[in-house]
Amino acid sequence: MRRVFAFLVVLALLAILWEGYKLLGALWGGTWPILGTEMRPRPGDSSMPHVWDVIAALFAPARRNAEPLILTLFVATLYTLREALVGFLVGALVGFSIGVVFVRSLSAERAFMPYVVASQTIPIIAVAPMVVVWGRQLELPGWTMVSIIAAYLTFFPVAINTVRGLRSPEATATELFDSYAATPWQRLTKLQIPSALPYIFTALRVSAAASVVGAIVGELPAGFADGLGRALLQFNQTFAADPAKLYAAVLMSALGGIVFVGAVALAERLTLPSARREVTT
Amino acid sequence: MRWLRHRAVAPILAFVAVVGLWELVVKSLSIESFILPAPSAIWSSFVGNAATIWPYGLRTLGEALGGLVIGTVLGVLAAAAVARWTTLRLGAMPFAAAVNAMPIVATAPIFNQLFGSTNPVSKMAVVAVMVFFPVMANTTRGLAEVDPSELELMRAMAASPYTVLRRVRIPNALPYFFTAMKVAVPLSLIGAIIAEYFGGPQNVLGQYIVNRAQLFQFPDAWAAILVSAVLGIGMYLVVLVSERLVMPWHVSLRATE
Amino acid sequence: MDYIVDAQKLSKTFTGSSGTVHALADIDLQIEPGEFVSLIGPSGCGKSTLLRLIGDLLAPSSGTLSVNGKDPHRARVDGDYGIAFQKATLLDWRTVRRNVELPLELAGVPAEERRSRADELLQMVNLAEFADHYPWQLSGGMQQRVAIARALGQRPPLLLMDEPFGALDEMTRESMQQELMRIWRDTGTTVVFVTHSIPEAVFLSTRVVVMSARPGRITHRITVDLPQPRDFEVRESPRFFELITEVREALRQREVTV
Repeated sequence: MRRVFAFLVVLALLAILWEGYKLLGALWGGTWPILGTEMRPRPGDSSMPHVWDVIAALFAPARRNAEPLILTLFVATLYTLREALVGFLVGALVGFSIGVVFVRSLSAERAFMPYVVASQTIPIIAVAPMVVVWGRQLELPGWTMVSIIAAYLTFFPVAINTVRGLRSPEATATELFDSYAATPWQRLTKLQIPSALPYIFTALRVSAAASVVGAIVGELPAGFADGLGRALLQFNQTFAADPAKLYAAVLMSALGGIVFVGAVALAERLTLPSARREVTT
Repeated sequence: MRWLRHRAVAPILAFVAVVGLWELVVKSLSIESFILPAPSAIWSSFVGNAATIWPYGLRTLGEALGGLVIGTVLGVLAAAAVARWTTLRLGAMPFAAAVNAMPIVATAPIFNQLFGSTNPVSKMAVVAVMVFFPVMANTTRGLAEVDPSELELMRAMAASPYTVLRRVRIPNALPYFFTAMKVAVPLSLIGAIIAEYFGGPQNVLGQYIVNRAQLFQFPDAWAAILVSAVLGIGMYLVVLVSERLVMPWHVSLRATE
Repeated sequence: MDYIVDAQKLSKTFTGSSGTVHALADIDLQIEPGEFVSLIGPSGCGKSTLLRLIGDLLAPSSGTLSVNGKDPHRARVDGDYGIAFQKATLLDWRTVRRNVELPLELAGVPAEERRSRADELLQMVNLAEFADHYPWQLSGGMQQRVAIARALGQRPPLLLMDEPFGALDEMTRESMQQELMRIWRDTGTTVVFVTHSIPEAVFLSTRVVVMSARPGRITHRITVDLPQPRDFEVRESPRFFELITEVREALRQREVTV
């Protein structure tokens, strides 16, 4: 609760900073005093609308006689989050399975782990436009392609942390299970997977955020009108006429991301007692 | 050296096997290049278009590096402030956590509008925002979470606050900082490429990938991705090497085995 | 044939990147049922390795070993021994009761039976009221008591202990020793106990086996003739100190001759 309050305070401070900058801009006529150069970003309403104008835009109809913008954006957010969720679940499952395989087979890990790690350092998202065009060739529905991108972004962190987590039991715990002559399945389900849960959840929180990014970016070239990515592009084009709408869409994207990651964090909270949360990786 | 060779054999075999299988499947089933281009086709585009894609790549790299520097400097400064005045932490840490959950790339069109989409600063700004939070959060932890007995030792020696910062806090923060950089470096390239998707000059990697993909010139698009991968791995290696140079003493770098 | 542990000419070598290490050489050790045997020696003498050979957690390089009259592997599969380590090694996600139930669960004991057995064991180590707590809510000494209860789950004829009290403070340690004495008497189990504390070895054991390092060998076997049951007064008796001196000399003698 205190964290939420602190967050709101920071948010309020940022709003004050924003309005303060605009006020100074109005005072100085858009140029820095002494330096005499133009203020960038321009503090005028055409590029930095007032905070209240953005909020007003959310509740005003998007077009004449249409529903309020917030409703349109809400539907778009749900659509994008659905794509993200499907991708997230598939990616998490694949990542977890790969983690288990790597831990069971050292040679598989030796051979492929360097690529899993290296792939973390390259901009995977660059593949997104291709996957979408690709899907169109195979006549798959657009959202499945977007989900595939989200899944791709999810599976790496989960795979890596699953491997680390399954290897995390201390040597004596492994010896303990040896002393009971435990089967590999018993060892996996009763020792390794429970030990790995904190690691997996840490990865899931990272992945959840990544899968939303993947969904938004995947929508950009996909060319269907339903999701947040498209809304961002559309309001980007009408920015000159109505800047507040783009800000409103960005706000909704941010909110969607927080809700999605928050849901994962909540699931973690319900699954793990506090003493087992927050492994540092 | 023997250890290196031993560890390198399996990945190289895996690479050869995967690429070979890929080539074989594409060639034997005569799959069209707009569905899946053969590795050989990607390679010939990579070589043939080198004069185009490398300058594009360097422009994108410039955006990424510019944003990385801005975001890192601001992140470290903010971390110093937050570590110094603990009340700031109360607000800053939950905010950083929340921002981490947001799709920051969504702000790319806004920065395009604020700075002008043709201005590379618009891309750097997106990258800087993306990089800022992991750097700040990690560095803050490194500066603040110091072993209390080390602080007591410094107190016992009547060390000045500057000495404590110089001798205890900064060395303690370095591993955290480098961990953040390992996250930030790939993020910076991703941020720059996505920001390019939202519009701007055409002679950059992001636009090239989108355009070639839409023209079904997949080998070209993949070649551009290869360039981005090389740049990403290169930046990452620079971080690894500087980590070794700056803190050769750290546990995580000691030889295992 | 009646020995619960019978080791003959047992040796163990480790080969690693830095060469070959002779951890144990020519170990002959016979332990009778009901004995309490401590293994003591400098670090690197192979006392923990010997314990792991008995538990079939490591395989010997040569020699013969039988545990409870069987091949060590058979004995392990049959659950003939319980084990406790220096770290309690409790599973964080299980309550105290479910931790004690673990070996029974893996052996396929029905839920009801293992629950009542776990409660019985917790009673024995005086932790009945903590059954539903989680390990991190317990002190180090209490955690170690849970680990001992867990080790006794299947009423094993043999209990292997690897410096179980090594991480505890002196006061807790003495009361734990007292408690272990009582459990040993009540259950009649045989104990093989690795320690590097001389008073601990003397107080607990019926026999102290002194080992030396490089290669790990048995140098002395000292029978402890202190009266049973042992209590606080034993710790202050002259005979206790004589035996401590004897063990200390045995440990030192080896050092001097090497």
